[in-house]
Order: sequence, then C-alpha cells, then structure tokens
Amino acid sequence: MNLLEVVSDGFADVRAHAGRTALQTLGVVLGVASVVGTMGLMAGERAQSMKYWSETGGVLKMIVYPQPATVVRGTARQQASRGLTVDDVEAIRARIAGFELVEPSVRRRELVQTPRLAKTYTVSGVAPGYAELHELQIGRGRFITDEDVTTSASVCVLGDDRAREFFGTEDPIGKTIRLGDNSFRVAGVLRYREFYWSKADTYNALGWMNEVIIVPITAMQAREVGAGSRRVDEIGFRLASVEAHKDAAPALKRLLLARHGVEDYRIFDRKDRMEQMEQQGKVYDFTFLACGLISLIVGGIVVANILMASFTERMREVGVRKALGAKGWHIGVQFLVESAIVTGLGGAIGLVLGVGFVHAIAYLLDQVAVLTPTMIVAAMLSAGTVGLVFGFFPAIKAARLDPVVALRYE
Amino acid sequence: MSTPLIELADLWKTYDTGEVAVDALRGIDLVVERGDYLAIMGPSGSGKSTLMHIIGCLDSPTRGSYKLDGTEVSTYSSGKLAELRNRFIGFVFQSFNLLPRASLLRNVELPLLYGGVASVERNRRAMQMLDQVSLADRAKHRPSQLSGGQRQRAAIARALVTEPALLLADEPTGNLDQSTGNEVMDIFDALNGIGQTVILVTHDPNVAAHARRVVRIVDGKVATDQARAA
Repeated sequence: MNLLEVVSDGFADVRAHAGRTALQTLGVVLGVASVVGTMGLMAGERAQSMKYWSETGGVLKMIVYPQPATVVRGTARQQASRGLTVDDVEAIRARIAGFELVEPSVRRRELVQTPRLAKTYTVSGVAPGYAELHELQIGRGRFITDEDVTTSASVCVLGDDRAREFFGTEDPIGKTIRLGDNSFRVAGVLRYREFYWSKADTYNALGWMNEVIIVPITAMQAREVGAGSRRVDEIGFRLASVEAHKDAAPALKRLLLARHGVEDYRIFDRKDRMEQMEQQGKVYDFTFLACGLISLIVGGIVVANILMASFTERMREVGVRKALGAKGWHIGVQFLVESAIVTGLGGAIGLVLGVGFVHAIAYLLDQVAVLTPTMIVAAMLSAGTVGLVFGFFPAIKAARLDPVVALRYE
Repeated sequence: MSTPLIELADLWKTYDTGEVAVDALRGIDLVVERGDYLAIMGPSGSGKSTLMHIIGCLDSPTRGSYKLDGTEVSTYSSGKLAELRNRFIGFVFQSFNLLPRASLLRNVELPLLYGGVASVERNRRAMQMLDQVSLADRAKHRPSQLSGGQRQRAAIARALVTEPALLLADEPTGNLDQSTGNEVMDIFDALNGIGQTVILVTHDPNVAAHARRVVRIVDGKVATDQARAA
C-alpha cells in the first residue's frame, strides 16, 4: 500500500492525540531552546571580548613595563640594572625582527596649569607610532609628528575629557597650557572613546584614552638629567603578524634578560593573555554547554514520560492495528511521523525561542547578539537526538511487537 | 468438494518459559468448512485462546499444519501473516478494541487502509458497513460517545469491511448485558445465514448455543466436536 497514505494516517493519529503531541513537542522545545540559548550567550560573550581586543590594538600588541626586581640580594650586575632604557629600545629594534612597531613612552607627574585650573596629572611622552599602537584616534588637529620628536617641540595632544576640562567648549587647538615650567601648544585632541562590557557596567574600558596628556618623547626626556633621561616607562610593540609571535616573543624575553641580568620588567603579551582567556572561555563553554545539555535531557525526559504514560494505550492500539492487518512498517511509519512532527516542530520552535532568548539577553545587557550556523546545527542535532531516542527506537520496537502480546497488554 | 476454509492437522504450540516448556496445544486436528458456524469452548488454560490466535494468524504453530483456504500458512513470516489477517480474517474482540481517539468511520476504514484501498473507495465501503449495522448517523462519533452494544456493532462493521472469509469473535458478548448481547448474537446468526463463516471463542454456553457446531478444547486437545441440531 501507499506510503503517503500511511503517513497521512500518521498525521491523523497525531491530530487525534494533539495534547500528547503538544506536550512532547514542548519537551523538545525546552531542550533545544536551552542549547541554542546557552550557545548564543557564549558566542556573544566571546564577540564582546574580541571587540574589546580589536578596539585597543588587537592581538598583535605586546607591552613591557619596568617593575622592581624580586631578587633581594642580586649580583652587582643585577643591581646595576636601571630598568627599561632607550638603549633597550634600540637593541630590540636592531636585533629582533618581527616587530612592526617598537614604541617607548615616558611618564611623569606634572603640575598642569591652564587659565581654569592648576592640577597635577600624568603626562606621557611618546613618538608618532604610539597612536597607531594603541588605536588612538585623532578628533581635531593632529597627533605628535616625527618632526615634533626631532625638534622636541613644545606641543601636546589632549584626551577628550582633558580638553573639555581645560578649555570647556572653546576650541583648544592652538591654545597653550603649562606643564611644569614650560608652555605647550595644543596641537590635537583625541576622539572620545568608550567601551562598556555590558549595559550595567559603569566602567569605561577605554576611558584612559580620554584622560591622556601627550607630548613628544624628546620633550619629556629633556626634562630629566643624566641617566634618568634614558629611562622609559613602557615599551609597546606591535607584531608584524600573528606568526611572528612564535619567534619574536621568546627572542624579546631572552634579549631583555641578557641585557638586564634580572627580571626588573614585566612583559604583557596579549596573545598569551588571549590564549589564557581562550582556555578560561573553554571552561565556561563546557559549563554552559553542560547546563544546556542537562536541559536537553530534561526535555527528553518529558518526552519519555509522556511516551510511558501513554504506553498501555499505544500497546493496545498497536495490537489492534496489527490484528486488522497492519504490517510492521505501517506501525513504524506511524510512530516515525509522530516523532518527526515532535522533533521538527519542537526543534524549529526551540530554535526560534533560543534565538529570541539570546536577543533578549543581548538587548538587556547591551551586547551584540551573535547567531552562528553552529547553533542551528546544534539545535538540529539535539532535536534529532531526542527524536532518535524517543521516536526512532520506540518505532522499531512497536513495529516488531508481537500482536498477541500487544493485544493482551493491560 | 471444495477445499475447506481451515484445515488444522496435528497442530502443536509450545511456549518455552525458560526452564519448562509448556504445551498449550497438543495435536489439534480441526476442519472448518465454508459457511460453518463454530463455537470453540473450553475452560481457561485449555488452550482455546492460543488456538484462536493461530487460526486468526496472529501467531504461528510450533509444529503441525495449518491450511487456510488450501494454502499452508504455518511457516509464514509476520508480514505475510499480516496480509492474511487483512484479507481473510475479521476480528471481533470482547473489549471491542476500537481506537478510542478515532471516529467510527476511521475505525472501520482502517483495515481497508492497510489493504491498500484508495481513499474514496474506503470511505464508501466503510459508510456502507456502518449503515448495515445501523450506525451510519454515528460515523463521526468517537467510540466513547457510544453504548457498549453500538461499539460492538461498530467493531463488527470493521471486521467485515474487507469481506473476510472468516469472522473470528473472542467472547463477543463478554462486556455486554444480556439483551445487548443477544442483539449482537442475532447479527452473527444473520451473517451466518447469508453464508458467512463464523467462529466464536467463548466459555458461555448461551453464546455457544447460537453455533451449529461446538468444539470443546481440554488440555490442548479437541475433546468433543459436536454438530448441534439447528
């Protein structure tokens, strides 16, 4: 007989048991929605941190800071080390390939005097590459130029907050501020930047960019005398490529250790950090995924429970149908139609619900809602698993059922 | 003389319960001609249910021969047995066994569906059968909306819709009161009157009294086989 007719009979049977089917579908919906939802949240979290990394210079950034050595009683050479210096910068530039940018910067607390206020702020002395390294964006005017560095020009660039603080609504470009004893002309103002990890978060992760006061590095060094003038407070690097990390990062460590004899510096390696985060992320992923899978199992149990509750009725029905001439495959198809409806419908609704959940959370936390093809595959897989376990196997069992046993079932 | 509808020869059925093998049927010989009206009687445990299952092609014998309409079917596969049930046998059960969530019409159509009859034809024949048992106006009703007698009539309509050679009824009045039971028995009598072969499986002598031939099964064997005066 016609397969189509058996299938349509299966549909009629599902209609007759609409309540039962609806409950089973609900079980699948819950399972799939939770898997899709957790995956979406995980992906969203990832996307947010990726966005942060790329807005602040990407994975290719490495920074070295000086830090007091932990060796209490070192050798003479260790004690002679004076932290990071301009010589380090030159040695790195000369000997290590693989860095696109090697940018030293110097910091000093200075009394800043403007017509409006007199207050002490940290002032940074940098070269032009600094802006590129940290993705600083110029709002008005210009950044420090090579010429500024060569001539140790008395110019400065202000973060947006600082510019507002010093000059209010006036245009700061061309105006002067006093840093310590010297006057500096404002050459540029940085664009206002912000990044919040979530909507509830009040911490602007890019806030420091709005609060900088930047001058040419040479202008800063000129203010020191003797050995102090060669000191740097930070060396920022940008790798030429991700592949360059493999050789350049260890080479940098070796070179610095050879030059200083002691670890009086700290290397902040974004790639390492990202790999660490990736590792942590995996732990979270597994935790989340476990939660999703548990929900899926709970959904499966709902399906199984309903299957069990209607077991007696089903057994008798199978017996009757077989007595009337139904073959194994007739019964099998009938069960499969039911589980296909439960799985398909449950999977589709679950996917929509899960996606909606992700969007709702993203909206509430002001994050990006991320939907990946993996999520759809996962939804299909989880619905398929439930369908297979609670649809396919019962279908085979029912198809093979001995009619005498099925008819006698009480 | 034409071939008998049913011919059982030295039929055995052994249930292997693990340690002990139980012989439910121990060499049954039975011939049922077309148009026969037979009652199979026997106490519980006598093997009459097992015999009914085998005659109804729901089960296969362990040993011996079962010829249905001249064809040896004792070795048939479950799929072929399903076809035989569909074509040759109409079942009427004690507890009616109508699908509770399907309308009477769909219940009666079901054997035709498994028999591969097209939808329009199915509908026509099922309605015709329901009409014959005076339930045409209840076609869209569910079994639960009907009385016991009506349900059993619907079940008879379902059993007969494929025009089977054999109507096999297992305690057909067991769940009915006396007068409703009598109505149902009258239907069987009438069917047999127009040539329908009927086998009743019962322990109720009042039911058996409708048959023209009574076979008693005791301990898995035919104890008596008596023709009754009409």
